[in-house]
Amino acid sequence: MTLRSQVLELPDSPEAVFQAFCEREWCDGLPIIPPTPERVEAMLASVAGDAEESLGPLPPLWREATLEKLAVNSVMAGCLPEFFPVVLAAVEAMLDPAFNLYGVQATTHPVAPLLILNGPYARTIGMQSGAGCFGPGFRANATIGRALRLILMNVGGGWPGGHDMATHGSPAKYSYAIAENESASPWASHHVELGYAANQSVVTVFGGEAPHNVNDHVSTRAAGILHTASDTAATLGSNVKWYLSQSQLLIVLGPEHAATIAADGFSKDDVKVFVFEHARLPLGTLKLGGMWGIQEWPDWMLAVTDDRALLPSVASPEEILVVVAGGAGKHSAVVPNCTFSRAVHRPLTRLRA
Amino acid sequence: MELAKGGTPAGLIATVTFQPLAVGQLQALGVGGLPLIVIDHPLGGEKLEGVRRRAHQAVEELAALVGVSR
Repeated sequence: MTLRSQVLELPDSPEAVFQAFCEREWCDGLPIIPPTPERVEAMLASVAGDAEESLGPLPPLWREATLEKLAVNSVMAGCLPEFFPVVLAAVEAMLDPAFNLYGVQATTHPVAPLLILNGPYARTIGMQSGAGCFGPGFRANATIGRALRLILMNVGGGWPGGHDMATHGSPAKYSYAIAENESASPWASHHVELGYAANQSVVTVFGGEAPHNVNDHVSTRAAGILHTASDTAATLGSNVKWYLSQSQLLIVLGPEHAATIAADGFSKDDVKVFVFEHARLPLGTLKLGGMWGIQEWPDWMLAVTDDRALLPSVASPEEILVVVAGGAGKHSAVVPNCTFSRAVHRPLTRLRA
Repeated sequence: MELAKGGTPAGLIATVTFQPLAVGQLQALGVGGLPLIVIDHPLGGEKLEGVRRRAHQAVEELAALVGVSR
């Protein structure tokens, strides 16, 4: 296997390697695994494809996402070779024009691509879907998410304050990857809902903010929990609702909340309709700030004059994604998207037999 | 960019804070010579007078770029 990356000769010490990568702005500020040729080759050996094959140019600097460069960054992130097919599927998904990776990379908004893995491969590689799935503590989640960030910074060129213009950044930009807790879900899992077979493994990328907590310790009925989730989803400061055609909400239901909701006879579609109908703000509140005056709304919303009228956060119930993840406890999470990127999914196709 | 490649005069307007991103884009997309008009940051949340000042800045820079004395 011939690798084309520049070879650095560095002292054989973790501190020296870390320092050299920090000085070159090649890392996220945390220690990295040195991407030696042997490690990069082992990463590449886990997938079908040649080292020089490119998945496409990555914005904002439009540098080619060759498998070699993706493998280098995956090694640096601490990935095991068996994690690499997930990284590749996520990069393929992020390069779909619907994801608008240039917008996600260059915006002032604190958006990060949340990776959701469905299907049996999540269990094969130990991707956490239960307690604490957003982290910390789980190598697959932490390093796959981190590999995506390093790729976005080092291949794409999204360096904070340079070409990544996020005002504050986000903890979610370090690493943001979970699996759906399919065994704890009362409904069909996300990828089955998308039309895949249950035994397929599928990555979804969602350009979202860090999770917003949904604390509901008292509701014993679906409506109570979903009112709490809807209230969390509808806030003046969120991007969601201002550019309605691109607005999406991800609801990550904890298994206990999901069980309560399902016990009331709610399907997943019922959950979406309920949140669509209740994650709303009055016109009078929307006039107070946010992006009032520069919103992009359909004509019917622009025609509303009653300040008490409740206006939706997303265009339809279908713009609400619902997954079940997490462990014990009366918490769920809402992840609003950045409103200029749509969720994209890709099956894992590069697993080497 | 497509306009410029087709021979129509075209350029880019950016605030000073976004100038590095704009320059990076022009270079990465192979149109580094495209005119770049730089105005004060920010644009959002500015009162009318601030918006007018930036519009004047843009016009002055545009006039200089096309060689028109004002």
